[in-house]
Parts: sequence; structure tokens; C-alpha cells
Amino acid sequence: LGDPQNLKCVTHNLHKMLCTWNVSSRGRRGQAEFCYTANDLTPQVCFKTKEGRVEIPVPESSITVTIKSSGTAFATKAFVIHQKDISFVPVAPHILSLTPEFPTSTLHLKWSDSGSVFPYGLDALWQIQILRKNAMEVVTQVTYYSKLTQEDVILSWNWTSDVPLECTSHYVKIRCYINATQFVGPKDWSDWSPAEVIPGKDTEPGESGVFPLDRVVAVGSDLTFCCIHEEDQRINMTYGSKSYAMMQLSSRSHAIRVLNASVSSSSGTNVVCRLEDGLEGSVVFVGYAPDVPQNLSCETSNFLTVKCTWKPGRPSGLYADRKTKYSLFERTSGKNVSCEVNEMSKDRVCDFPVLPDQKTYDFVLGVSNPIGQAQSSLLVDITQRVRPKTPEMLTVIGNNSTSIQLRWHINGSFTWIRLLCQIEISGGHSERKLHNVSMPGGKSSTYTAQLNALHPYTKYQFRVRCSAADHFWRWSDWSRGVEQTTSEAP
Amino acid sequence: MAAADSPSAALRRRDLCSRGIRLAGKMRADVVDLLDAYVEQQGLDASASVAAVEGVPLAAVERWDEQTGTQRLLENLAAYRAFRALLAQMLEEQREQLGEADAGLGRALAAVLLQVSAFTYHLEELLRLESRGIPGEEEDGPPAPPRLSLFEQKLRGLGVLRELAQWAVRSVRDLRQLAKPSPAPGAAPGLAESP
Repeated sequence: LGDPQNLKCVTHNLHKMLCTWNVSSRGRRGQAEFCYTANDLTPQVCFKTKEGRVEIPVPESSITVTIKSSGTAFATKAFVIHQKDISFVPVAPHILSLTPEFPTSTLHLKWSDSGSVFPYGLDALWQIQILRKNAMEVVTQVTYYSKLTQEDVILSWNWTSDVPLECTSHYVKIRCYINATQFVGPKDWSDWSPAEVIPGKDTEPGESGVFPLDRVVAVGSDLTFCCIHEEDQRINMTYGSKSYAMMQLSSRSHAIRVLNASVSSSSGTNVVCRLEDGLEGSVVFVGYAPDVPQNLSCETSNFLTVKCTWKPGRPSGLYADRKTKYSLFERTSGKNVSCEVNEMSKDRVCDFPVLPDQKTYDFVLGVSNPIGQAQSSLLVDITQRVRPKTPEMLTVIGNNSTSIQLRWHINGSFTWIRLLCQIEISGGHSERKLHNVSMPGGKSSTYTAQLNALHPYTKYQFRVRCSAADHFWRWSDWSRGVEQTTSEAP
Repeated sequence: MAAADSPSAALRRRDLCSRGIRLAGKMRADVVDLLDAYVEQQGLDASASVAAVEGVPLAAVERWDEQTGTQRLLENLAAYRAFRALLAQMLEEQREQLGEADAGLGRALAAVLLQVSAFTYHLEELLRLESRGIPGEEEDGPPAPPRLSLFEQKLRGLGVLRELAQWAVRSVRDLRQLAKPSPAPGAAPGLAESP
């Protein structure tokens, strides 16, 4: 008789379970009646089916099943299914998107956790496999944890490949395991999802070249470059002037691995693939992230502009398009200025406009290049960082036998401070003397001073320099000298 | 075709040719120096084989002997106009890629570009002397070359400089040919050719 046998029940969502059975070998499967009941108190539920499978609710504890098959002859069999006999195997996850980011060789994976399928919150494990070589070689497998929350949540995961994505096709598969602790039946991993693929350049007809193209990387990086070529083409690859052993990625892709890359020359390091019919190549720029700017110092010479200087630290080794960029940000005003800096010159200078009615500046000097960034900060009261411009047009405007009046001009607006000016007096048969005089700062003004107790009919040379009177910072440069002979005693 | 040279035109042509020969010779020497510096600066292999550079007529020419003087001038002019555009492109790329890192190479490149421009003008002068119309330059210059990768830019630069060095040699030979006195009508081709 075709007895129903091997009744198995599997649930994918802890709600419903799919029960399947078969008929002993001699029987032919015909229509069957499938009845189940949880216990004597609950009415029996029956189905007619020809397929040998029925979907019914997952029982709290156990159910009694009766299968009456009508194959070659009628046969009835009863089964008791306990929850512990039901297997829980989640449905294979569904990959929503797999997006390549070629410049960084990164894959961005998104999938839905299908949390709404389950009756309550659960811990979930996700295994993600990255494969190459026609999805035959597992490159990496990671396990990712998440909590299901009875809602469909989109999960995402990124992976950076050590082999540029252009070099060969990358495949991604994912499966999950739901840790339903309240469910006593056996639990298992879902099937793997269908593999999503990011095709490499070696799948594009007629494509050839070295990849990645024109990257900027940090000194010390381990680099992989590949040459895409026609099948059966003999090639060799060099990095800079050195040949490297090649690894085969596919029939049209070979790669070299460069460890601990050293800084490249200003025009970059060439990665060349010699094919039978020509050359292909790429350039890589190996450099340093910018150093934290050292000895950041800011001063003003005219209260129109603040001039900041700093020491750049270790050169980045990157130039032109890739060179380090500098910007000066002032927190109080929120103003940002980008600085034009010549990478070859030793001194670094950046000008920031003096803002109306603002004496204190909270500067952040930001430096960045394609490899990294750094910053230095400085809080400064510019009235305490004054180094006036060189006094100009030093002139003698008054003169008698024992005194001389000098006048000079300083560009810049010093109305916020008092100026201290020092006049150097040479000649007069005596040592060089310094005469200090202080005065209120003016707005691009002329200043005067009188020197007394000079000797009659004596030739003197004068020059002047100035600084801030109250918070000395630095002297200006000396002005040009002026010479004057006192008149004869009366 | 113009009658046999008048003495002053012949004198003027020989003068232009000899000055052109000196200019081409100097240009070649500078291009060779620039080529060495370029190969080193760009980390290239001096023996690298480079495909023909798009847009540049090859210096090598078949049946060179049979070329008329005007053909020589017109081919020279087309070549140096192309080089002028390519060198300007190289200078732009050099500034983009190296900037201040190698101002020396930039200066050398600019100097050669200046010489190429001067030589182009010189060729135009020679054509004017022969009351030959100067072929107009394409309105907005040659079509912008496709955006190349950095390595392709390096290789193209190598190809341009190599071909320019070849052309400088050919130009000297062409100008020497042009400098020869104009033959009586019907004889071997000099500058003028009979229609």
C-alpha cells in the first residue's frame, strides 16, 4: 500500500511551516487528505492535496497529523509532530544592491533583513562571502550581527578589496542564521543568496590597460596593480624600474603586488605592462599625509591683514593637483580663507583679513591632501602681535644747534594701540645711542619725534624702527637712514 | 607658377632658408636635451616603443627627393602647427601634474614651444615669399585630444618629442633643398613646381 512516510516540517518564519511527505515506493501518489489538530479540544483542520506538501501554522508544542492517501489504494497514517521535530531555516536573504566604488576599490552591499517576517525580535547572523574567479574562489567571509525588529530594515556593509575592482570580477553572496532561542527545533543557515557580481575589466571585449589608474596612496601601502590583456598574450609588468612576479587573476588579467611602497618622484611611479603589441601603464603617486603644521604664528603689520606663518613639517611628496592644500578658518567669525602656497618654498604664509572690530582671532589652520589631513589652532589677540611695516620717508623737519625734529610715515592703521619707536643716533663723536619715544597709533599716519641734547655743528645719522608699546611683539625693520648736521651754536 | 627667381627674391629665400636651418638645428639640440630630461623626470624607459602620436604627420616620408619645394614647406608647416598645439597641451599637463615640483622641465618645454612657434612663423614667411597662400589654421585649432590617463600623457609626450626631433632633422634637409638656386623651368624641382 502507498503509505505516507517521511513527514518533514520546515519553518522559514516561525509562523508557518511547510510539511512534506512521500508515499512508499510501491504506491502511486494520488490525492491525499491532510488533517491536523493540536489537541483533542481543538477541531481538526483538513486539506486535500496532490503535491505531498502542505503549509500549516507552527504549533506551540505539538500537533497530530493524519494523512489519508488515495493512491493505488487507500492508506491512512498518523504522525505526532513536536516543535523539536520542526526545522527552522530562514529564507535566503535578498541583496538589494551591490555598488562598486572604483577609486577606493570598495564594495557597498545593501540587503533587507526581512525582520517583518518574524513574530518577535531576534538575533541574526549574516555570513557574507566575497568571491573571485567565476565565484569559485572565496576571497573572504565575514560574519555580521544584527537584531531583527519585526520591521524590514536595510542593512549595509562595505568591503575594501586588496585587488582593484577593475582587475577581475567580484561576486558577493550572503546567507543568514536566526538565533531563535525560544524555538526548540533544529535551526540552520539559510541557503546562500544568488551571487551578485561586479564585472572586472577583464570581461570587457577589447579592453586592455593597467589598473587602478592614477591613484594617490600613502607611503608604506601594499599595492596591487593588474594588467588587462588579450587571452594567451605574454606580458610582463614593472613597478618603477623593477620587474615583479605576476599572479593570474583570470585568463585576461595578471597582477603584481608591491609591498610597503616608498615615496614616488614628483611625476609619480609608472606601473608598466609590456604587451606583445605595445605598452600599457598607469601612474601611482605615493606620498605622505600632511604633517601637523608646526610653530603656527600670526601677526599683523598694518591691522589690515593678519599674516600667519608655520613650518610645514615633512614634505608630502605630492605636487600640483595632489599637493597639500591649506585653509585658514576663523572660528569666531566663521570666515574661511584658502591659502596659495608654493610647495617648493620653505616658508608657508597665509593672509587673513582683519575683521571690523575684532581683535581676537581663533584660527584653525587646516591642511589636507588626497592622503590625509591635519590641523593646528591658535588663539591670538592681534593687538599683541604687531610688527609694524618698515617706517618710510624718514625726514628731518626741524633743526637747531642742539636738537633735531624727525618725521616718518608708517603704512597701516594702528589706532587700536600705542606705538613705541626707537631712533638710532649715530655720529657726534659718541657711541651709537637709542632714543625711545611712544605715541598713539594713527591711521596710515606720519609720526614725529624731537631729539635734544645734541652737539652743535655735528653730523648725525638717524634711523627709526617701531613696535607696539604695550604688548611688545617684534620690531619693524629699520627705516632707511637720514643724515643731518646740527647748526652752529649761536 | 612664378617666373624664375628674381635676384632679390632668391637672395631673400636663401637668407630665410639659412636662418631656418640654424633655427631648426638649435631646436633639435634643445629637443634632444629636453627629451633626456623628460624621460628621466617622467620615469620612462628611454627605449620604450611608442605608438605614432595622433595628429602629427610623420617625419619619415617616401620619395623625399621628388617632393616639390612647396610640398616641403606645406608639410613642414602642418607638422609644426601640430607640434605647437601638442607642446602647448604638454605644458598645460606639466603644470597640472608637476606644478612647481619641476619648473625646470616646464621652462625647457616652454622654450622649445617658443622655438616651434618661431619656426612655424618662419615657414609662413617662406611661403609668403613664394606668393603662396598660407593655409589657414583650423578655426579653433586642432580638435582637443581625448582625455588621456597620466601614463598615456607621459607616452604621448615622449612620442611628440621624439617625432619633433625627427622633424627638426628633416626640416634642415628640406630647407637645404629649398636653398638651392631655382633651376631653369622644366628641370629638377626646387621651390617652384610647374603645374
